[in-house]
Amino acid sequence: MDLNYAPEDRAFREATRRWFQANTPKVEPKTLAERKAWHRTMYDAGYVGMLWPKEYGGRGATPMQQAIVQDEMARAEAPPPINGLGIGFIGPTIIVHGTEAQKQRYLQKMLTAEEIWCQLYSEPNAGSDLAGLKTRAEDAGDDFFVISGQKIWTSSGPIADWGILLARTDSKVPKHKGISCFLFNMRQPGVDVRPLKQITGSSLFSEVFMTGARAEKSDLIGKLNGGWEIAQTTLGYERGANSLGRVTRYLTAFHHLVRMVKELKRNGKALIDDPVVRAKLGKIFTELEVQRYAALRVLSALSKGEPISAASSITKLSYTEFEKRFFELGVEILGPWGQLMPGSPDDVVEEMSTSSGEPGTFATAYLWSRAGTIYSGSSEIQKNVIGERVLGLPKEVRADRMKG
Amino acid sequence: MDFAFTSDQQLLKSSARAFLDERCKPAAVRLLWEDARGASDAMWKEMAQLGWLGLALPEAHGGSDLGMVETALLLEELGRASYPGPYLPTMLVATAINRVGTDAQKGRWLPAVSSGSARGAVALLDGELSWSPEAITTRASSAGTGWKLSGTKPFVAWAHLADVLLVPARGAEGTTVFLVDPASPGIKQTPVTGMDLATRWVNLTLDGVPVGLDAVLGGLGKGQGVLESMLRMGAVGAAAEMLGAGRRCLDMAVEYAKVREQFGQPIGSFQAIRHKCAEMLLEVENTHAAVYYAAWALDAGADDADLAASVAKAYAGDASRKVCGEAIQVHGGIGFTWEYDLHLYFKRAKALEVQYGDADYHRELITRRVTA
Repeated sequence: MDLNYAPEDRAFREATRRWFQANTPKVEPKTLAERKAWHRTMYDAGYVGMLWPKEYGGRGATPMQQAIVQDEMARAEAPPPINGLGIGFIGPTIIVHGTEAQKQRYLQKMLTAEEIWCQLYSEPNAGSDLAGLKTRAEDAGDDFFVISGQKIWTSSGPIADWGILLARTDSKVPKHKGISCFLFNMRQPGVDVRPLKQITGSSLFSEVFMTGARAEKSDLIGKLNGGWEIAQTTLGYERGANSLGRVTRYLTAFHHLVRMVKELKRNGKALIDDPVVRAKLGKIFTELEVQRYAALRVLSALSKGEPISAASSITKLSYTEFEKRFFELGVEILGPWGQLMPGSPDDVVEEMSTSSGEPGTFATAYLWSRAGTIYSGSSEIQKNVIGERVLGLPKEVRADRMKG
Repeated sequence: MDFAFTSDQQLLKSSARAFLDERCKPAAVRLLWEDARGASDAMWKEMAQLGWLGLALPEAHGGSDLGMVETALLLEELGRASYPGPYLPTMLVATAINRVGTDAQKGRWLPAVSSGSARGAVALLDGELSWSPEAITTRASSAGTGWKLSGTKPFVAWAHLADVLLVPARGAEGTTVFLVDPASPGIKQTPVTGMDLATRWVNLTLDGVPVGLDAVLGGLGKGQGVLESMLRMGAVGAAAEMLGAGRRCLDMAVEYAKVREQFGQPIGSFQAIRHKCAEMLLEVENTHAAVYYAAWALDAGADDADLAASVAKAYAGDASRKVCGEAIQVHGGIGFTWEYDLHLYFKRAKALEVQYGDADYHRELITRRVTA
């Protein structure tokens, strides 16, 4: 057991910190072109696709170096790369399951954000029960499938050029066995993207309607009807190791909270001098710090190439549930000031980076914190995974399993 | 960056588990619950032979020169067994002597601790029941070349078995820590019974207890630093024991949920039970990260060692109470019976919560540090 960073990791961190201090844009990139330009700047500096193999344009870095880059991005409050889903798990999925032609066609443009990617998994009636999805891919004989159906909660939908799509290719077999995975062109007739407005007021995701759209046979990933296994590994990538950066963002938010708590008064005295407020700050910082220790533990396992697939459910459950408690407590401590949204005429409430990547107030972060325990497998799904695969508890009796 | 145990550390842990599974079974713990002194001398001697008592002491004094990570590994296993006895207080006394004691004090006590012939107790709290070293009210009044100590020291764990008591007191020079012979005139011991019968507390009253210059540990007026360091180690040690208690309860709950059937199926197949077990595992794993981060930070002399110790103690207290309590809930009625073993660990965790700084105390230390 040695929790010191290795000398080469410390040196890498120093260099990375200097780069982000020097290069992070002073003004938040707003337009698509500006956001692509920032992504490209990071890519050219070698900070995008850290874990990708060098032969596909990545850096071939270690999980520790990847975590350090994300940590330093968080520290500099740098905007995230625009193609996060593509870089984070769609690209790695293509690298693992794709054909050589697919790799040549898609990977480089994904890395450089020439093409933006989205994920077409969830449907209105297939959320936690993802395998119950209804979108159909019908073999059109020649060289393509015809896609019809509706997807939902699609991040980056309006700006996406391509999507990774799960669709049903066989409806006569048990539901997990009739799903295929495609790379799907979003820029074609028959694809309609409609933004959804979230409780935060912003629109970071969309509904996607597909009516007689095309997916090329050459864009099938893996085997026909083998999509479910691929979906399992993509989810595995998504539950990866943005460990340190996440904690640093929480820490930045905590320091914003402390500054406000020192400035604000209630009942005639500074909030910071109120023992109840102090106890709450101590409690939440305790949890925040434990998130950091747990992140180091995961990172240590990843660095040694240990499998963390089921255990990563513990990480996801832990930080998303923590995030809710953190911002609930922050908003509670701030009282009415905790309610203020960005743009309020009040110089006490500070703006900061929220977990969505968009700047906002504690109120925004509080609203956003409701998302984490739903996306990428809800807390309830994570607890099922932990119960079955980590603790070895018996599977529940489910109506669909009895049929299958 | 390596958060995993070395193979030596794993070996220490598994051999400790094997020893305690054999010698500190729940039935043995229950026998000691009924025992007037509450601990087994034979087991203490065996622990000495295994090298546990000198684990973190220098080889020159019969020890193995290991650190807090190894000590925490053992304490986790001791907590898992709800081991009754003065292991942690003795380690705190010995570590303090090793850190700041004179050669004479080291020579007198460290080989004796390593070999199992001396045990220690620490009187950290006094009449005000404050964990803060600044709040010591026990007095050290000059008397000739030495002092006379007067005051009350409640909730001193295992004082009745101790060969040496570590007593902080305030005098003209400030706060000083003294090594006191429990047989000194003026010391009165009154046992108190808490809910955990494997943690024996004694209320001490000191009425003009004479101590000489040779009793001063770490220098006159230097008590605050000695105490803060001891409190840090005690906090991490207690957190490690609580981790062990929690893990034992989690294991018992999971095993029970696999075999106990209701409505024609194992209760572990119901999400109400499975999700509870998943939450318990989450708490146990987070506590593991907190305990061993803090133990490593103490060994490494890391800048955040004091913060990490407070974090570990505050987190482990809440987490182990929850996990041990939920294990009773998973078991239902049987878990609430005296005959079933869950309450051994449930009570051990609870007793540790109030020692070496409770969560409120450590949270305030954390707030002070991170808002400065």
